[in-house]
Amino acid sequence: MTLTLVAVKATHRRRTVRSLAVTIALACVVAALFVVTMMVGSFRLTALQVITSVLHLEANPGVDFVVRGLRLPTATAGLTVGLALGASGTIFQQLLRNPLASPDFVGVTSGASLAAAGGIVFLQAAGLVVCAFALGGALLAALLMYVLAWRDGVSGYRFILIGIGVAAFFDGLVGYVLSRARLTEARQAMHWLTGSVGQASDQELQILLYALPALLLLAIGLQRHLRALELGDDTARALGTRTELSRAALLGTAVLLVALAVAVAGPVVFVALVAGPVANRLLGPATGGILAAALVGAALLLTADLVAVHLLPVSLPTGVVTGAVGAPYLLWLLATTNRKGAGG
Amino acid sequence: MTRLNARDLTLGYDDRPVVHDLSLDVLDGKVTAIVGANACGKSTLLRGLARLLKPRGGAVHLDGKALTEMSTVDVAKVLGLLPQSPLAPDGVTVADLVSRGRYPHQGWFRRWTDDDHAAVASALEATGTADLASRPLAQLSGGQRQRVWVAMALAQDTDLLLLDEPTTFLDINHQVELLRLLRTLNEESGKTIVAVLHDLNLASRFCDHIIAMSGGAIVAEGPPSEVITAELVEKVFGLTCVIIPDPIAGTPIVVPA
Repeated sequence: MTLTLVAVKATHRRRTVRSLAVTIALACVVAALFVVTMMVGSFRLTALQVITSVLHLEANPGVDFVVRGLRLPTATAGLTVGLALGASGTIFQQLLRNPLASPDFVGVTSGASLAAAGGIVFLQAAGLVVCAFALGGALLAALLMYVLAWRDGVSGYRFILIGIGVAAFFDGLVGYVLSRARLTEARQAMHWLTGSVGQASDQELQILLYALPALLLLAIGLQRHLRALELGDDTARALGTRTELSRAALLGTAVLLVALAVAVAGPVVFVALVAGPVANRLLGPATGGILAAALVGAALLLTADLVAVHLLPVSLPTGVVTGAVGAPYLLWLLATTNRKGAGG
Repeated sequence: MTRLNARDLTLGYDDRPVVHDLSLDVLDGKVTAIVGANACGKSTLLRGLARLLKPRGGAVHLDGKALTEMSTVDVAKVLGLLPQSPLAPDGVTVADLVSRGRYPHQGWFRRWTDDDHAAVASALEATGTADLASRPLAQLSGGQRQRVWVAMALAQDTDLLLLDEPTTFLDINHQVELLRLLRTLNEESGKTIVAVLHDLNLASRFCDHIIAMSGGAIVAEGPPSEVITAELVEKVFGLTCVIIPDPIAGTPIVVPA
């Protein structure tokens, strides 16, 4: 065995160990946050009480009502929506080779907002119907982006710029819709538009709970194609990737993930933008682990929800907190990407 | 018939045909250079040979089968291509990039094996990039970077390797270094190599066979000493010149008149 072979094997082992360790650590953090979310509130519980109640280990009607009835749905929404946003964001960023290419900025989220706000204001929709509207809106917006921006493959900023244009157009229409609304409906629509994990209903959650594991597994299975596509279409094809098929599958998975997340929780901004880069920091550059990014997304969203609901003097929608933290990050990203000249 | 060949191949973009009814046999176990003026269709031909461009007419055959009838992964196990400007993910390390060349040898559930490690290690060694393995690609010089990309194509472990203008952005020293590397790869492992090159002198010096193209067709092909003549350079590039022998290798050198 040559020295190089030994070194290559060692490097590979180090990478595998690091990615395993990071993923497990992230999973522990997410699990801890998940439990803490259910402990705090006007009625404080211990971790043990929460865990025994969630796992049905011991019947205690009072605790069970608070945990399973009130807090578990919100915590589950935070967990699943965060996982979906994190995974979706990193797929978009790697596929478009741009850290700005989160679904928040390419019009998908805005499409969902427009459809949901329209449904609430004009059709007095509520609950599952709003969810369906948002899902449809996100999918239609993704399709529109594909038609407008994808013709000859994707080139860095073109996709983002068209996305920003489409998003601005949709946001303008949302403004119009709100101006036509009566006060109660406008309020309801505004609440939805801010994005909050607390607004998820049980039925909405069920859909996400069934779809999420399948979509996440699919995304992880497609990861190696993503690693080839990152090298450009020519290289990917030379390596034997069926580029159109792989890209369509990856994009479809990412769009479904973000569409479901937005349908359940409303447009919680910046989680999808931040999760991928944070995961890459932990895993090492250009690793692009989808599972790790999903876990980072869940950790961010659960933390944001804890802050929004419990740490601030007034309880706020989750989207307010993620926005307040995410906006400075976006500015920093814009400033540094341009300086490096690596934006597109 | 050679392993890779084209019959009556027509290639083009949108409604603009670039290569017309071209037939070509890529000589097995040789280093071939494709030369010609800008926009003569040489890169288009290379892309066609590597199935990056679907033929409008005719076909490219690999080991007797039309490329369009083979699965793209099966092609990738035999035929490698280094495109003109491959993209590197932000912050990617040399080892990571080279290991991505193993893509066609892996599947949904197939894990990283000893074969993969061995192929990556020998690609790093062959290109002299083993010492750079843990460095980020962005920190390397142009010449080093190009060798890393060649290493990635080598990790793919194919019998045939096509390169699209591999020396374009390199200085003279690194151009020679890269061509020497291709020469060595050919001599040591019998790889068939085809490269689109701009420098006629270097192409003559390092390649066994030269294909000269003009207006989407092959004008001349053969050993450098037969192909590179004053008439051909005049015809293909529109340059009046004198051909003198290389003082070291005796291969033709083009001197503008």
